[in-house]
Formats: sequence, structure tokens, C-alpha cells
Amino acid sequence: MTNLWPLRFREFADRSLLFADDAGGFFKSDASFLDRYASDGLTSSDKEFLRDSGHSYDKQFDLPWTSFAYRWARRQSKPQDLNYVILVPTLRCNLACGYCQVSRVAETARGFDWSDETLKAVLAFLKTIEGSEIKIEFQGGEPLLRLDLLEAVRDFCRARFSSAQFVVCTNLQHLDEAAWAFLEADDTFISTSLDGDRETHERQRTHDRARTTTFFSNLEAAVARYPEGKISALPTVDVTAPPDFEALLESYEKYGIRSVYLRPINHQGFARKLDQGENALARWNELHADFIDLLIERNHRTGRFMEEYYFSQCLKRVLHFGADNHVDIRNPNFFAADYIVVDHDGRFYPTDEARMLSRIGRIDLSIGDVTSGIDRSKVQTLNSGAFNHFDPDCIHCAYQPFCGTDVVDDISRYGRIDLPRYETSFCGRHLAIFDKVFEVIYRQDEASKASVATWLGIADWDISMLAVHS
Amino acid sequence: MIPLRIKVEANAEQPFVVRLRSFEAMPGTERGACHPHDVCLEAVDANGAEYVGEGGSLRILGIDPSEIDGDVLLVNPQRGTADRIIRSSSPHNTLLVTERCDQLCVMCSQPPKKQHVDLFEHFAIAAMLAPEGATIGISGGEPTLFKDQLLGFLARVMRAREDLHFHVLTNGQHFDDADREAMHALDRSRVVWGVPLYSAEPDVHDEIVGKPGAHEKLLSNLAFLCRVGAQVELRTVLMRPNADGLPRLARFLAASVPFIQTWAIMQLENIGYARQNWSRLFHDSSSNFSPIARGIDFARSRGIDVQLYNFPLCTVPLPYRNLAPSTISDWKRTYLEACRDCRLRNHCGGFFEWHPKEHGYAGLGRAA
Repeated sequence: MTNLWPLRFREFADRSLLFADDAGGFFKSDASFLDRYASDGLTSSDKEFLRDSGHSYDKQFDLPWTSFAYRWARRQSKPQDLNYVILVPTLRCNLACGYCQVSRVAETARGFDWSDETLKAVLAFLKTIEGSEIKIEFQGGEPLLRLDLLEAVRDFCRARFSSAQFVVCTNLQHLDEAAWAFLEADDTFISTSLDGDRETHERQRTHDRARTTTFFSNLEAAVARYPEGKISALPTVDVTAPPDFEALLESYEKYGIRSVYLRPINHQGFARKLDQGENALARWNELHADFIDLLIERNHRTGRFMEEYYFSQCLKRVLHFGADNHVDIRNPNFFAADYIVVDHDGRFYPTDEARMLSRIGRIDLSIGDVTSGIDRSKVQTLNSGAFNHFDPDCIHCAYQPFCGTDVVDDISRYGRIDLPRYETSFCGRHLAIFDKVFEVIYRQDEASKASVATWLGIADWDISMLAVHS
Repeated sequence: MIPLRIKVEANAEQPFVVRLRSFEAMPGTERGACHPHDVCLEAVDANGAEYVGEGGSLRILGIDPSEIDGDVLLVNPQRGTADRIIRSSSPHNTLLVTERCDQLCVMCSQPPKKQHVDLFEHFAIAAMLAPEGATIGISGGEPTLFKDQLLGFLARVMRAREDLHFHVLTNGQHFDDADREAMHALDRSRVVWGVPLYSAEPDVHDEIVGKPGAHEKLLSNLAFLCRVGAQVELRTVLMRPNADGLPRLARFLAASVPFIQTWAIMQLENIGYARQNWSRLFHDSSSNFSPIARGIDFARSRGIDVQLYNFPLCTVPLPYRNLAPSTISDWKRTYLEACRDCRLRNHCGGFFEWHPKEHGYAGLGRAA
């Protein structure tokens, strides 16, 4: 007797149905197959198809059973040792972006930088990390305002770890000789915000022409000075006033950046206070889907391929296991495991979003501090909601194996984590993105196929590479 | 071609293992640092080189001592020969543990023989003398016909030499659940099992390996290898009987054998039975790469690493060349006249020494 692994299904606009199992195996079929499946009336050709596609097994421990178990297990994100630390040496900033996501303070404010004691405790904490590799991300405020602290951390890590990488998240507004010299090193990378063309960037971030000119001339100088891959950038998108996406892509391409991570204005930090209007989620989903279509069309037109980072990540998560290298989407997504945030006052946070949310005083999501250590009981409380396996809605969703959770986003928006999943913004955003993934991979036009192939890193992509059963 | 067997004169009855040491280049090195199985270069003359060690002396003929320094030899004094079973300068060292096999593959490069001499004791000594960090190949015949000795050998050597890695070629027919403990005793991160699967279709696979039921047994043992956490390099020799089935095999791997580290698609080696059967087996991948391409794209889209072994670079379409490392072992590698000015030569594995002059590739040389 053949045993079937349970299937979930989702109907698309064209009435076709997607079926998926717990290990992420999927295929498209139709309502009549669903009837046969639900009423125990599978034909021999149904059974043959299901066996060939890894959806059934004969007995425990046979090859199909073992492979299914392996595929399921590999879809779980394994907790790793701490190897990524986000440091906020100062909260002060020399810009005042309208939607500042990090709750900055004025450049001249006092008491928002690490003290000597905090620096010492941060270094002592870094010393306790056991692995031989570390990645440090300097966040802010504007971290370059405290180059001395950055130097101290970098010197320490270079001596302590056999491999150390540093990312400076900077607005590139003020780069003196010392800052340029700091950024020069091969182990040090630049991450900045670039909201699109000059006009959008000025409207959202710099607010005056002189500052905009400074930013772009510093960015151009950095691009000219350093090899490709040294600089990355993220655009923040306001759904009420989206940028001209064609101009945004041109702008990114001009600076040698081919991977664009389109972010909506975050719901944390000061951005909470902004009114994004009715249906902000629906509008975001539409914008994002249009952006993917624009990318596909533009890639085809120019022959120069660019990607939307998060979409590519979700695409890979649909097609194979092991795409767990982004903290925004993995399952489980345990906190304070492989990465942690240290704020300007030495407090630990599980994520940067948790830090922003705590900063506005709505809830304290700090999990200890550099002197007293990580508060494991609080981490465990957060971890109890950090996976989607047993969520009463997710267990019925065909996208569950590909998806994740975001406890902090739920708390930020709703003050609780036990809403029906489909009422959450996280769920709405991911249903839409996975719908888009499935829509795009089943397309047959040359432009779509070429972009999918490039995003997957293969030579050719074709609909024959997807299972369809009738 | 690099000689693997050299002439020697030794005054002994039984075969023995030695490592050749030459201290000319290392002034000040203490002889006392030598291993009991080391013999040290004493004198060189026009005909040969004299080595002396704890067990006596050994004369090597017909090869410059500088080419064999650090090599481990299995000396057969009766025959007056020695096999360079570990060459210190080569990454391609393979121990042939038996010539027996229970399969009879249509393209076997080393057709099986009935007789078997157990050399595991010598191999264990040799492996202990291998250069730091070496990967040692284990091949046959079918090594797991002597499974207990093999697993014992691996456990013993890996315990003593934590720097060594092993690559074992096996047809995967002889594992069973009773081997769990022995497999768990090995450091799994240091052993790769190279296991051949030629087709998703049982009939096609069984026909190629000349053994009815081999496919079914192999699938059940692949599940075993997965359960014990073994690293598997799945090997598929490309031939006319299975070439068109590669896309289907890729789908089968993604669904049913997703735990492999690598899927190696291998071009045919013109030796042994493959030479006899060349005209009905050789698939000219330069004129029809399509089924290979479709197999590769599918497997890679599902996150499976694919490599092309033994493919001259110019026979591989550009988008797939980065998957074709230089894999033909140094001692059996050659290049054709047409390769002389090729700019890819340094990255290309070339051809097997014994590849026929009528090489069979319609599209050779396009990479130049």
C-alpha cells in the first residue's frame, strides 16, 4: 500500500491549483485531482505521478521516505553559533530623514554614544564568541561620527578572529580623510541608503540640494575608488509616494549595484507615527509585483540583469532547501542565536526592529546587556513564536514550507502575536510575494524565463522544469 | 605519462612498504626524524639511486630521485618492481584494494579479475605515511566486497591521521543496516563515497552494470547512506544508452536522492570495456549537449551541485564551463595537437592519455 504525504493546496486566479507538501515539494493540478485526492479516488496515473515526484512512499526508511525526511529537515533553519553582531556605537545622526527607522537623535545631543565602560564591555562580550569568524555591522545613528569606536572594535576583531568582516551603514554625508582611510580596508564594506533618483532621495532623506549633492558626490567617489561589491545600497519606498522605479534601477545600475532590496517604510521607530493611509499593504503588494514585472521587462530589454533581492530569496526558497541565509525569512527564526544587536547604551536586542520598537517605549524587547549578559528566559519567550509549524492557519497554507514568521513585526503592529495569521501584515505580504513567485515561474515568455534563470543562477529555465499533473 | 611503476632491486622475500626520503635539499635535517618505514637517499649514480633504511637497502632504477622524493612505494622484491602508491607531489593518489567486482559495467575502465590479494596491511602503513592533508582515493574492483577490512582500515587510519581525507568509489551494493555502527565510527566529514547511478530507469541502469536488481539494491543503500549521514558524490557516466535520460535522472535525484553533495556527470574513458564498446557507447557531447544541459539546469534549480568530469572545456557550451573542473588525473592526462595554442589549456583537464586519435568530438577546439 502506497502512503501519501499530506498535501495542502491554493487556488490561483486562473483556477489552477497548487499542491504542496510539508517538505516543500509542489506541483500544479486542477479541481478534479483535488476531488480525487479528497475522496480517496486517486487513479493509478495519479499514484504514479505522486510516487515519481516524491509525494509518497511504500514503507518507513525506504528511499522515498528517507528523502522526504531529508528534504523536510533541510528546510528547517538550523540554529548556528553567534557570528553576526550589529553594533550601534552612537544614536546621533547628521541627517533627519522624515521616516527615520532607527529613532535617531540630533548630531549634537549628549548621552547617546557608547561610554568607555560600554566599549570595554562590548569588547569583552565579543571575546566570549567562540567561532573563528565574525561579521560586524556598524549601525546608527551615523556610525562614522564615532570613528574612534569603530577603529577600536575593528582592531580588536582583527586580532581576535581568524576572519572578520565589517560593514559600515552610513549615509555618506560627511566623509573626512580619516573616514575614507577607515573604509579603504579590504575587510570593510559600505552599506548606504539610496532611495532612487536625485529628486526622491532629496525628498525622503537629505531635504536640501547641497546635502543631496554631497551624498551623490561621495557615493560616486566611493564607487570610483573601490571594486564592485564593496558598496551595497537599499532603497526605502514610501507607498504613498513611490519613486520612479525605472529611474531607481538606472540609478542603482549606474553605481554598479545589481541587487536591489526594495523595503517598505518600516513600521518600527519613528515611522510608526506616519500615516500610510488605507490599504497600505495592498498597495505595497501591488507596487512590489509591478516592480518585479518591470525588472523582467527591463532585463529582457537591456540584457543587463538586475534582481530584487527579497524576491530572489523567496524564489530560491520555493525551489530548494537551504536558502536560509537571510534573517528576514527563515523557519524557525530563533532569536539571539547567530546574530544580536548591541545598542548605544550597551543593551542587547534580538533584531534591529526590536531595538527601534523598544526605543519608542511601546514595549521593552531588550534581552539583557553587555555587562550582565543575554537574558535567556526572555529570548525563550520570543522564540516560542519564532516558527510557523504549528500555527493554526499556517498548517493549512501551501506556502508554509517556504515561509517564516516575524514576532517583532506582529508585536509592533498589533501588540500581540496570536492574531489569526491571515490578518497580519507579514502574512499578507508573503502570500502576495509567493503568489508572484508562482505566477512568474509558470510563465512561458522568453523575458520571464530569462530573468528566472538568472535569479536562480542557472543557464536556462523552462516551464518543463515544473511539475504539472492533470 | 607519469610512470606509476618503477624498477627496483631489493634484497627481501616479501612485499613491503617504504617512503623515499632525500635530505640533500634539507641540510641539517636529523636522520633520527625518520619513520621506521622511511629509506633515505644514500648515493646516486648513472644507473640508479641507493636508499638505506632500518630494514636494509633499496636500489631505484630509471627515475630521477628528485621526482619521487616523499613517495610511498609498495615494493615487490621478487618481481623487481615497486608501485608508487602515494606520490607526494600529486593530489591523485588511489589505492586499488581489489580487482574483484560483482558488477560488469559495459564501460568498465578496469575490467574485474577473479584473483584477490589482501593488501590492507600495506595500505594502512602507506596511508600513515601520506603527506599532510592528503585525500586518498580507494578504488577497485569493488572495495566493499571486503567491507569489514575496508571500514576497519578507514577507522584505524583516520583515528591516527586526523588530517587525512578519503574518497571511496563503490557500487553501493553491499551495505546493510548492520554496518550502521561501523559507518558511525568514521568521521563522516572526511569520507566521500563516490557512488554510480546511471539512470532513473531500473532496466537501463541494470543493463549498464550487467547485474539484474542492482538498481533496486542501490536505491535502498542510498537511503542507508543518507541515514548514516555519509557524504555521497553521485556519479553518472555519460553514454548513449543513458544520455537522453539525464533530465529524468535529474528530476529523480531532486525528489529521491536530494542528500548528495555533488552530482558528477562524467565523460567516457576510452579504456577497458569502454574501448571495445566505444562506438555504441560514446555520446558526443560537443554536438548534442542538450540533454546534459537540461539535466544540469534542473538539478541546479533545485539546489543540487553539479560537476562535469572529464569534459574537455571546448566541448562544453560557455554557460556550463564553470562546472567543468580539470579532473583527469595528472598521470593519465594529455592534450591534442589542436590544444597547443588554446588559451583555456591551463584550466582544462584535456584528454585521457589513451583517448583515440579519432576522438569522436565533432565540435572540438571551439573554445580556442
